[in-house]
Amino acid sequence: MTAVAASPPDWRARSANQTRLAFGQALLELAAGDPRVVVLSADTQDLLGIRSYIDRHADRFVEVGIAEQNAIGVAAGLATTGLRPYVCCYAPFITARSMEQVRNDVAYANQRVVMGAAASGISLGVAGGTHHALEDLALMRSLPRMTVIVPADVEEAYRATLATRDIDGPVYLRLGGRVDEPSVTPPGAPFRVGRAVELRPGDDVAVIACGALVEMAVRAADALRAEGIAARVLNMHTIKPLDREAVLAAAAETRGIVTAEEHHLTGGLGGAVAELLAVERPTRMRMVGMPDAFAMVGPTGRVRARYGMSAEAIAAACRDLIGASSPAPR
Amino acid sequence: MTEGREILIKRLEAEALQIRRNVWRAVKAGGSGHVGGSCSAADLLAALYFHRLRVRPGEPQWPERDRFVLSKGHANAALGAVLAQAGFIDEALLDRFYDLESPFGMHPDIKMPGVEMCTGGLGHGLAVGVGMALGARIQRMAFHTFVMLGDGELHEGSNWEAAMAAAHYGLAGLTAIVDANKISQSGPVAAIVGIEPLADKWRAFGWSVREIDGHDLGQVVDALDAVPFEPGRPSALIAHTVKGKGVSFAENTYVWHTNAVTEEIYVKALGELGGR
Repeated sequence: MTAVAASPPDWRARSANQTRLAFGQALLELAAGDPRVVVLSADTQDLLGIRSYIDRHADRFVEVGIAEQNAIGVAAGLATTGLRPYVCCYAPFITARSMEQVRNDVAYANQRVVMGAAASGISLGVAGGTHHALEDLALMRSLPRMTVIVPADVEEAYRATLATRDIDGPVYLRLGGRVDEPSVTPPGAPFRVGRAVELRPGDDVAVIACGALVEMAVRAADALRAEGIAARVLNMHTIKPLDREAVLAAAAETRGIVTAEEHHLTGGLGGAVAELLAVERPTRMRMVGMPDAFAMVGPTGRVRARYGMSAEAIAAACRDLIGASSPAPR
Repeated sequence: MTEGREILIKRLEAEALQIRRNVWRAVKAGGSGHVGGSCSAADLLAALYFHRLRVRPGEPQWPERDRFVLSKGHANAALGAVLAQAGFIDEALLDRFYDLESPFGMHPDIKMPGVEMCTGGLGHGLAVGVGMALGARIQRMAFHTFVMLGDGELHEGSNWEAAMAAAHYGLAGLTAIVDANKISQSGPVAAIVGIEPLADKWRAFGWSVREIDGHDLGQVVDALDAVPFEPGRPSALIAHTVKGKGVSFAENTYVWHTNAVTEEIYVKALGELGGR
């Protein structure tokens, strides 16, 4: 067996605080340790930052052009021959347009294909509704066999990509767009698929967040702490399989749960948590995320805030849930 | 020692006839089925499985095997028939078409030995075949990949994405076989949405093309033996066929794209196929 190379020291610099680029950097490490790794692009070479990979592994690279359905079908075919394909793609196109290929060729046929899906949520805020992906988690989560991961920052995106080594089935890895995402996970922290990470302790209320909303949840918790409210923050980086134990413990040990995600309020993280709790332990909840509307155009941060995806909105949802009053304006 | 050509053709004709009988057997067991597109493909499947494909029925996952993907997955009755005749599956499975928990449903399921991909949603198989052929190239394996498409299936635009990619990569290890039976679910393909000039389309996409009578096993064998038709290019074999071939009342009609099969109809069909 080939020894797995140590993580190259320069990957963080090359990731420029964008999860999409961390994916491309992690592919270098994966490919160095496994000759079965093959990378596909749907004209997404720079989007996922894979030029270095192509330079080093031209013989294990397939460009299919602007043809997402073909990208998934070809990846499934490659997987049947024993290779381990990683598809570099746009979240809005690979899920909505290629849904049938993902369902039939990958999930139903049980082929191990990993999708690195950049530009998820409203990370391409200025691009408008055609380029937002606010239903991708609902689509991917509804497929049997699919593992769905939403890294919170570049560190976690890198670790999560490496963790796909040990996943036998199909994987949807949700990545951001051309906006920097602040770091929130500790460098070098282990990443375990399906195991939530507690970033703040607390027994008054629990915030279960994923992706860019994790950092906002931490800021919300820190603000609430100053008001005497102890908010637990769980980074639920794996939407499927959901960490049931962590959710049930949060429900049992706090007065309620707030979910936070950059996704429609139907079918995403909030939906997954609510489905579990409705059956196992009915719990008071608030859900932060995209309401039932197409998002307006605008810079990502401002669009997020406009629809209530912000630290302030998460804190407000927590107060509302436990009946605390808002702090007096300073 | 190679077998004489006359003997080969006679052997393949006998297998093709048996495929048709087994198609009717399966759809009768299921109560209904896609007779038309299954029987149009019978001669092509006989030549593939009993002459051309390097496969091991006792070792269906043999890594070096040639790949066959039935993209027109609704012809699964014919695929089940040929897999049974070749020894991949127990013949008794033909009587469990559509049965609860059976691996032999209306459309191919990778769970069944010999089936390479779950197909049936049309326009999927060629892209998968491109991936298989690329997988062979990347791993320096010599197997050939065959994908069978319906002519009506070519309405699906995803086929043409795959066709473009196959030519771009010069996939000589890939052959598309179009079972051109001219009729889809609602009527003649030409009346639904015309696909002609079909050979020109494949050529324009960079493929090397041959057209044959898909029921003349001499022509089928010659064409399959000749792939790749040109070095450095994927091959497209357009096989002109008759929907429902072999049973007069099922031939050339969209009614038998899929239809109910009673005991009475089954006996009548088998009578025409020289069965009991």
